[in-house]
Amino acid sequence: MKRYDVIVIGAGPAGLSAAVQAAEQGMSVIVFDENEKPGGQLFKQIHKFFGSKEHKAKVRGFRIGQQLLEEAGRAGVEVKLNAVVTGLYMEKEVVVKIGGAMEHFKGDSVIVATGAAEKMVHFEGWTLPGVIGAGAAQTMMNLHGIRPGRKVLMLGTGNVGLVVSYQLLQAGCEVTALADAAPTVGGYGVHAAKVARTGVPFYLSHTIVKAEGTDHVTGVTIARVDENFAFVPGTEKHFDVDTICLAVGLSPMAQLLKMAGCVMDERAGHDGTTPLCDENGATSVPGIYAVGDVSGIEEASSAMIEGRIAGLAAAAYLGFMDEKKCREAISCQKKALMSLRRGMFAPQNKGRKLMTTEEGIPLSEHLLKEGYVGDEEIGRFPGVRRSVGIHPVMECTQNIPCNPCQDACPHHCIRVGDDITALPQVDDTKKCVGCGLCVASCSGQAVFLLEENYAPGFAAVTIPYEFLPLPEKGEKGTGLGRRGEPLCEAEVVQVKTSGAFDKTNLVTLKIPGDMAMRVRFYRKEV
Amino acid sequence: MTDRTKDPGMFVPEPDDDRIICRCEEITKGEIRRAVHAGMFTLTEIRRFLRTGMGLCQGQTCGGMVRQIVAKELQVPPDTLEPATARAPMRPVEMWVLAREGGEEDA
Amino acid sequence: MEYRIREHPILGEIEETKKVRFTYDGKTMEGREGEPVAMALKAAGVQIHRYTRKKHEPRGIFCAIGRCTDCVMVVDGVPNVRTCVTPLKEGMRVETQYGISARPPEKEGK
Repeated sequence: MKRYDVIVIGAGPAGLSAAVQAAEQGMSVIVFDENEKPGGQLFKQIHKFFGSKEHKAKVRGFRIGQQLLEEAGRAGVEVKLNAVVTGLYMEKEVVVKIGGAMEHFKGDSVIVATGAAEKMVHFEGWTLPGVIGAGAAQTMMNLHGIRPGRKVLMLGTGNVGLVVSYQLLQAGCEVTALADAAPTVGGYGVHAAKVARTGVPFYLSHTIVKAEGTDHVTGVTIARVDENFAFVPGTEKHFDVDTICLAVGLSPMAQLLKMAGCVMDERAGHDGTTPLCDENGATSVPGIYAVGDVSGIEEASSAMIEGRIAGLAAAAYLGFMDEKKCREAISCQKKALMSLRRGMFAPQNKGRKLMTTEEGIPLSEHLLKEGYVGDEEIGRFPGVRRSVGIHPVMECTQNIPCNPCQDACPHHCIRVGDDITALPQVDDTKKCVGCGLCVASCSGQAVFLLEENYAPGFAAVTIPYEFLPLPEKGEKGTGLGRRGEPLCEAEVVQVKTSGAFDKTNLVTLKIPGDMAMRVRFYRKEV
Repeated sequence: MTDRTKDPGMFVPEPDDDRIICRCEEITKGEIRRAVHAGMFTLTEIRRFLRTGMGLCQGQTCGGMVRQIVAKELQVPPDTLEPATARAPMRPVEMWVLAREGGEEDA
Repeated sequence: MEYRIREHPILGEIEETKKVRFTYDGKTMEGREGEPVAMALKAAGVQIHRYTRKKHEPRGIFCAIGRCTDCVMVVDGVPNVRTCVTPLKEGMRVETQYGISARPPEKEGK
């Protein structure tokens, strides 16, 4: 039986981060992953991540995956792919199916980073070809370059449902509608807003009655549900779609931990699906750690930090690092983790209905119920200001841990402050030069540049644009509002692309002056 | 602990009883509900009785839904049900692979 | 609209890997070497991978990462092969799976 100081199960963001950290302390490390390629879900994440610099904010997920693999390579981490862990025992023996053989390994410590599986819901016709998980859609289009369908209905408005809907649009699919049984949008408002402004309708308090079709999906019927999630008769709506995407949540894949005898977390507010861990990820079985989604569903940015902490803790546990040095290193990581676990979507706020931002501003009702901020609501947020000359308008209306806009501005026009969940503000004393770096840096695509006196009677708005074909200077099309409604003619007066923007192109539209605060998207068709 | 004295009452048919819940073993909602009325109160018992979650995917897809259905039938919150036992192999392994365990010379 | 993405706003031009030929229920089809068999089938418009054992219902791609096993087919004579994680090779023989075999069940007196 081969022995390692650390055996990591799962080569996703949490597992790889743990492995790198452990290897850097001089431990022998092996990572097992059942997939053909490492990286977990990171390589399917083509959007820019939230957070601040230390969390690799505004870097797209797949690039973070590439960086992590390079780090692992440099640290000398051995990653064994197509290696299916079939058993984990209390004595930290790991049984792995590799090719046609069952192999046994012994770890002096084991870090479990098996991630999560998609939850599912059932409805009439849910087994038909064409009903797929949202993760499947992401895998198909972002890893394999295959569109999952032509017309898609998305069930679920959590971040997965919202992000995958946007990615479907980017892949050239039509997203017919988003539906969610919950009464309010579950994910970040900025993710919802960038889908809504393309014209995709949101149906909250709605769920699927049935998938239609005999051999594969040819349509879907949704209907409104009441407070008890029972269908309200007469509210059915039919859509012609060929694909139904399910994004109704994730559940930790903790079977290996259970099998090893780790105590599961059944304290109040916990449902026993995650292991009971100390703040370093140590489970009740000495030497076994749990990190990433398997220890509680969070974003990949948090998973990477959790991984690093457990890697350090394992090093101290086995005497590869002295206690004091370890404590210092861990406290530094914890600071970064705590700054991500703040704001409206923090784990401690799960299930709570918030009415206002931390600044005391009432939240946008439209955003929660229809996916976009209403024209009459937008003015109350601190990033939305009118002024002479070109200036940024930041339609950031919820407290999420994110501040790349502040770092992006070379002239310090934008202030978030030390508390990275605060809503951004514009500093009127600093002069905006219209470089657009803030527009491209916003992971939520919520920053726009506005020049209200662009020409007599006309304003210019610069929008982030991540679709093909890219509009061309001089072409005329339609300016769309926040819910995708056609508002006016819009002339493309400038298109900026740059390496620094990382594929978030800047399109400047000339629009009638009274549309300055309303036009937020563009469509070529008139 | 599972309350063995619990009486789930009479089985009342529902319109969606023929809906597949366990996709691999093709077990319907009605079969799961009937199993509860036949005295299968834990997820492990349901699994042994009906084979829910014993197919190729090993319960990855239906686990949560079976829990919801059983809990509703017993009129208890889903998170109070004992979780199904986790045991090796956690993923499907072909018999010929298991048979080779113990070294090449024995094969 | 075709299923294959040629150019993507974030991922750029999708690299065209070597074309290979395979058969699907005897028909010759073309796919890209190394892509999952299920992707080559999807690109060719095939959605039904198998019919279930008990109820003979159609199934196709569901999770696309090898977990749910709904997309299994008979590949090169071997049943229960997860096509979403099996790389396509030149000359592969891919067949619809009925229950656990590549032969449709006898129609029962219908």
